[in-house]
Amino acid sequence: MTAVLDTPVVARPGGGRKRGRTRDRGLIVFALPSVIWYVIFTIGPLVAMFVVAFMDWAGLAAPASFNGGENLDRLFGDERILTALKNTAVHMVVSLPIIMVGAFMLGYFLNLKLPGHRILRVIMFVPALISLSAMGMLFVAVLGPTGLVNSALDEVGLGEHATAWLADPAWAMPSLILVTIWSGLGFTGILFAARLSAIDNEIYAAAELDGANHWQKMWRVAYPIARDYFGVLTMLQYLWTLFGSAGMILLLTRGGPGESTSTLSWLVYRFGFRSPDVGYSQTIGLVLFVLGIVGLVIIRRVFRARY
Amino acid sequence: MDNRAPRPAVPAPRGRRRKGPNRFTPGLLGSYALVLVYALTLVLPLYWLFISAFKSQLDAVDAPFAPTFSSGFDNLTRVWDLLNLGDAMVNSLYITAASLVVTLVIAIPAAYALARSQGRIATLFERIYAMGFLIPGFAALVPTLLLAIQLGMFHTREFMILYLPASAQPLAVILLTQFMRTVPQELEESATIDGAGRFRVLRSIYLPLTMPGIATISILNFISFWNDYLYTLVIVGPNAKVRTLQVALPTLQGNQGITDYALVCAGTLISVLPVFLVYAVLNRRMENALVQGALKG
Repeated sequence: MTAVLDTPVVARPGGGRKRGRTRDRGLIVFALPSVIWYVIFTIGPLVAMFVVAFMDWAGLAAPASFNGGENLDRLFGDERILTALKNTAVHMVVSLPIIMVGAFMLGYFLNLKLPGHRILRVIMFVPALISLSAMGMLFVAVLGPTGLVNSALDEVGLGEHATAWLADPAWAMPSLILVTIWSGLGFTGILFAARLSAIDNEIYAAAELDGANHWQKMWRVAYPIARDYFGVLTMLQYLWTLFGSAGMILLLTRGGPGESTSTLSWLVYRFGFRSPDVGYSQTIGLVLFVLGIVGLVIIRRVFRARY
Repeated sequence: MDNRAPRPAVPAPRGRRRKGPNRFTPGLLGSYALVLVYALTLVLPLYWLFISAFKSQLDAVDAPFAPTFSSGFDNLTRVWDLLNLGDAMVNSLYITAASLVVTLVIAIPAAYALARSQGRIATLFERIYAMGFLIPGFAALVPTLLLAIQLGMFHTREFMILYLPASAQPLAVILLTQFMRTVPQELEESATIDGAGRFRVLRSIYLPLTMPGIATISILNFISFWNDYLYTLVIVGPNAKVRTLQVALPTLQGNQGITDYALVCAGTLISVLPVFLVYAVLNRRMENALVQGALKG
């Protein structure tokens, strides 16, 4: 979607345009392999999701049959869905504002080009380079019973506070949220830095003449200018958090302990593969999809440019 | 980022002086401290990961921050054999390289076509790609698996080589199209007059002139293909013969959890090394690629 918003209107070389169009009619054939490939392997499965969502399908090897809206009915009476909805909301409401506001401030900070900003940039890049499974294993080790956090607590004499962070019902969700923030903050900050570097210094200078400090320059000058971009990155982060949590949960907690880290995205995976109920899994996927669209529309409205 | 051309209108010394009064306010120092704390949370686990990979299981717990190097390369060779990482590395390379080739082979002509035609079909195609940004990959995981089964390609690496390029098309085509639009059409016209066909024009004019764009999408897709976890896990599966590095690594965890973090660290280190090596060589390029990719995606 951002591509649509951002695609610059590139002036096509003027003169040959009309001639070019008639002559280039056959050219579109060049795009066919890519489009067909893309439709078969990406759009196709997505459409299939809407069909499977209305099926009774126990496992991938089991026979499937349509059961109308039965899966949808089941949704409303299902405790697990309610818990997952709550967990998803907590995960989102805590991590999204922290990541977005923090990253924006980080981006502004990096652009001040204070001593050390180059090395900081390199460090902030790290989460963008590590794979999900490496990140998962890293945190399994960092947060494990004898992992980095507990060893560190021991070192400073706070050993009695050590716990198996991912297996502790009180700490599993906060751990997941921290990992989400850890992995999202730095790279989003770099993206903001790239956007904010396009703001002319003269504008800041004018604000300084009026006595603005950094806080005011950040939120009264830079933010209004980058507002639509803020919205775009918020949408992306929203989608990643909403849909993407399953992978990290699979590696870290598998929804547990109990149901304490079971998000909607995790349920899609769980009913898809761990305790197969494929039709139901896709019904939840449908809910996720609707939540995704609704969220995008809301975020878009909130951050619509107002100038 | 930093390599932009300096703005001649604002002489540097003046700019610095103007920043002067604001430079070290308490608020700024506080922010600096916070940024350093965050940076530390990024660096410390990586440092710990690195040193733990080379020490004994006992040391990893007792002296978490000391680089004791007490077991040398033991952990690395042990995890290499245990998880059969040699095969995993080959499988990862095979899937990544082949997917990258397919991605480029279908995306380059498509971008050329979209950059040079303005018909309704071209607009429609661009819309279809734009939809791709709305669809988070994970959404269609189960149906994609069903497709793999339908095609008789369940548990094969080759299905990933079909799927990954498809998932990469929107970003690759849209980014490349923008690069291709900057190629002056006059060049193409004069080549056509000299008798060059379309493939010739694409190969001799567009390819060399859009190399930076091709490099960008290659880097982006190298990272995302190499790092792919969920799809590869579900479609290729954990069979040691075909699984990739990313799928092999978490099998260390087993069912009752793990206690040998030194081994986990060694495995994780091996899996992140290739991307970090490429980053060490291409860092500026890679940063720009990731920023551009995110801007469009």
